[in-house]
Parts: sequence; C-alpha cells; structure tokens
Amino acid sequence: MAKLLDKQRYKCALGAMQTVQAITRAIPILHSGPGCAQKLSDGTGSSGYFSPNIFPCTSINEKDVVFGGVKKLHSTIENALKVIDADLYVVLTGCIPEIVGDDSEEVVSQFDKAEQLESFENEGGDPDKFVYKPVIYASTAGFKGNNYKGHEQIIDAIIGQYLKKSDKRQKGLVNIWADVPYQDLFWLGNIREIEKLLSEIGLTPNSIFGYNRGLDNIDKIAQAEFNLIVSPWVCLKNMKKMEKKLGIPYLHYPTLPIGAYETSKFLREIGKFAGIEQEKTEKVIKEHEDYYYYLIERYADLFLENRVINKEFSVVADAQYALGITKFLANDLGLIPAKQFITDDTPKEFRENIKDEFKKLNYNLQADVEFETDSYKIHNEIKAHDYHGYPLILGSYYEKELSEKLKGNYLNISWPVQDKVVFDDFYAGYTGGIRLIEDIYTVAVQRFN
Amino acid sequence: MTYKIAVASSDGVNIDLSFGAAGHFDIYSVDKTEYRLTEKRTAPTKEESKAENICGDEKRECNSSCSNNKSCGADGKSFPKVEMLSDCRCIICKKIGFNITKQLEKKAITSFDVDCTVEEALKKVTDYFNKIDNHISLRKSAE
Repeated sequence: MAKLLDKQRYKCALGAMQTVQAITRAIPILHSGPGCAQKLSDGTGSSGYFSPNIFPCTSINEKDVVFGGVKKLHSTIENALKVIDADLYVVLTGCIPEIVGDDSEEVVSQFDKAEQLESFENEGGDPDKFVYKPVIYASTAGFKGNNYKGHEQIIDAIIGQYLKKSDKRQKGLVNIWADVPYQDLFWLGNIREIEKLLSEIGLTPNSIFGYNRGLDNIDKIAQAEFNLIVSPWVCLKNMKKMEKKLGIPYLHYPTLPIGAYETSKFLREIGKFAGIEQEKTEKVIKEHEDYYYYLIERYADLFLENRVINKEFSVVADAQYALGITKFLANDLGLIPAKQFITDDTPKEFRENIKDEFKKLNYNLQADVEFETDSYKIHNEIKAHDYHGYPLILGSYYEKELSEKLKGNYLNISWPVQDKVVFDDFYAGYTGGIRLIEDIYTVAVQRFN
Repeated sequence: MTYKIAVASSDGVNIDLSFGAAGHFDIYSVDKTEYRLTEKRTAPTKEESKAENICGDEKRECNSSCSNNKSCGADGKSFPKVEMLSDCRCIICKKIGFNITKQLEKKAITSFDVDCTVEEALKKVTDYFNKIDNHISLRKSAE
C-alpha cells in the first residue's frame, strides 16, 4: 500500500554534506541537482567559511540525465580545486547521477596525487611548489539511506581513500566518534565535553569535527591507540573497518553519557580499557561527582517540593538521544520511563542490542522502546498512554503541538529543532546532565508563571 | 506516439552546428526508439528574419518585468527559426543560447547542446523519451 508522506525526522544520505562541513576547511563537491544543498542545509549554524550556498555543485539537468554527467563532474572538481582554498574535497553523489549510472568514482580517481602533479606540471608549475589537494568520493544517493548512513559513508570514504596504516602508535591517543554533526544540535558541545573528560583521566583525545580540528586530526587517526565510539549504532561499521584496515581496536560505548551515574560508568569503562590506574580515574570521578551532587542537593527542594514535574516521560529522538536521556532521567532523576520512540530508522541488525540497553536501568526499571518513524503512530501512542499527570516529552519540534494539547512539559532535543538555538551547549557528561535538568525545570517552572 | 527531432548537422554524421549557425535542420521521425531521417528543413536567412523585424540582434519592445528586453520570447513572439521547429519535440545542436532555450521551453520543446555523433545522440535521446513516456525506470541496472 502506498505510504503517505510524513514529517521527516532525518534527511537523505546527501545530508551528510554537513558532516563534511563540520570538518574545518573540508568542502563537499556535490554531484546532484541544483537546490539539493539548499534544501539539506539547516537554517541556523551552517554559515561560515564554507556554507551550503556556495558548495560547488554540478547542478545536473535533463541533458546530464540523457547524456551522462561525468564531464560536468570532472570540470566541477577541476575548477573547485582551482578556486576554492580547502584542505579536503569530498565528492558526494545525489540520487540522480547514481540512478542514471554515472561512474563518479572513476572521475574522482582522475584527481589522485599523481594525476594532480602531472596536470600541475603540464601547466608549467614548479614541482617543488606542488601542493596535493586530497579528493575523495562518497556515494550518498538518497535511496541508499538517510543522513545517519550518509555520515557513515563519509567516514568510510576517509578511512578507505585517505587514511593509511601507520607504524607509529601514540600512547594514550584516542579517536572519538559520537554525534552526527548538524543532525544533532549538541554535536560540538558534546564532543568537546567528552574530550575534556578523557583528558582529565590522562588520555589524549582526537576528534575531527568543529573548531580547531581538521585535516591534521584526520592524519592523526591512524596513530591512535584505540577508537572510542559513543553511539548505539552510527559509525559502528566504520570502527570495524578501521580495526581491519588500520589495526586500531575500538571501544563501543552505546550510551551517550548524561549525568553523574552514566558518566562515571563511562569513565570507569574507558579507564579500564585504556589501562589507566583506577585511582586516577576514581579521583577525577569523585571531583566531578562531588560538585554534581552539591548542585543536586542545593536544588533538592526544587525536585521534592515542586509538584509540577512529571512522573513519566517519553523521548522521541534518534537512538543516541533516546537511550542517553532515558538512562539519565531514570537513573539520575528517578523518573519513570513510559514508551520511548527511536526515529532514526535504525538498521534492523542493531535493534535487539539497543532494546536490551533500555532494559538496563537502575531500580529494576525497564523501558519499552519502539522503532518508529511515523509521527502519526507515535503521537497516537503518546495520546493513549496514561502518564499519571502531565507528560514530559522530549522530542523533535513535531511533538510540540501534541505536548501542548496534552498540557505536558516539552523540550526540543532532536531534529528538527525550531525551538532552541544551540551554539555549543551540550548534554554530555556531568555538566551536560546539569544543563538538561536546567532545561527541563526551566520548562516546568514556567507552567505557573 | 511518433514525434520529431531536429538535428543541427552539416554532414548528417556529427552534431557540429550551433543553433544560430545552422542553415538547415535534419528532421528525424521517431516511433518508440526507431528513428529515420524524413526531411531537411531550411532555415530562414538572417536577411529574411530582419525583414520581419524579429531578429534577435535588435532590441524589442517587451512589457515583461525582467530587464532583459532582448528577445527571450516573453512578449509572445519568437524567432522564425524557433517557429519553424515548433512541431518538433526536441532540438539537438552543438551550442544553443539561453534566450533560444527559453523560447523553446515555452513551446515545451527540449533542447540539448552536445558534442557527439548524430547516431549517439539520437539513440540516447530516443531511449530517454521512450522510457519517460512509458514510465520505465532510468536506472542503468534496469536495462
């Protein structure tokens, strides 16, 4: 039966152009129809040195569908290399060229180091002054999946086409893979906070996204002692590839650590994996926990006497946030999870493991979780559930109207975000947990103002 | 459904003429993916066009809101060459200008500016039209 078009909670794989944009001085070159970048860019936080409005694009039209667009792709890459000063060029294909069968990979291979040097010399350039500009290719046709998968494709392209196995190993160097940039509005803050925590226990974090990171950090990936992936499923495939190709083992921590309970557990597990003295880790944990519980204690009156906070909650978000927030609200705040909804179209092979994670809550709590992208069904289930009072809904902007109807408390934490502006705020770690409590209670106390 | 394609070629083998330079067009009749040359249509010369005062060289009176009053066809009049090809579905030539493309678009005529042989172009174009007319996927693997 034909399906109705529904409110979308993610974008097509080409949306991963924002993953490239998150790498400083990396630029996507799009082999797609005109307007793709415009539609896929987010309203806020995506301007800067490169922004979607200036991404080089082949802007393919009917002629390229009939006659093939490889010539246009070649000239677009060639000219992008001439006029755009970037460190890394990532060619992304949209759905049209992949349907009609353009061999984009072959075109991109014409821009490898040897060919670039040759054309540089042909134009009379001095070989000593030649600067290689890496061009890689990621297949991100919309029909291949959503932008979570597209994100994986980009990382895959970097591993497969750019990185080389290194003999050097830098002790304590850890690559961090967490959120999908721009899809997750807290990506920058989260990754910095995780970096900070790792530094405190004596590791050297390495990430490739955001300010002051870039190609140098990509180069460092191959020298890391291990990869740390903080995500239920996104990038897991990439970790396996790196293990195979670069010989870097990985630690999979499926839950985004929010709040004291999960963050302490997170640090202990990393400490153990990295072989850090237990004492050192515990010292860091104690310091953070002391401050965390000092704050919780000071606001105990708010938690205990405030009768507006909800007893039960639902999270409607991607697997990363649904899991992280559910654990935080149950373990740290003592709220009861109602049904949780995962809206990122998680591949089937990961679903059982993720479901199991939702059963590992403190106080013998278990959360019921559903993988659902259909807002209509999600909203019906929320409407039908008895939250024993006002519901607390943490979700995308689509849940706002519903929450208002149910007189619930609502917080916009997942894409699309219309209700919040986030520069570098974060929910990860001890501080992130406090930020989330602040945000939830800010909504709650407004009820009677 | 049969339709016509106009090709700008001096020798009937290569697409080697731009729209403006073409003194004549080869008209091919197409049925599904079968095509055959049925007509050679001679274009009006520049002088003939000038006599009618609708040549693109001169500024034309136009009431459309755009500032380009240079014969985009917004005033409803188009070049004689465009008029003479108005029964075709598609024009294939080596180069074509923006204004002519627009005029053709208004008549729902597709134009392709390509650099290849007549045979290659006709094969690809007829295959494409056949597929979209019959709702066949353009996906390469579907072939």
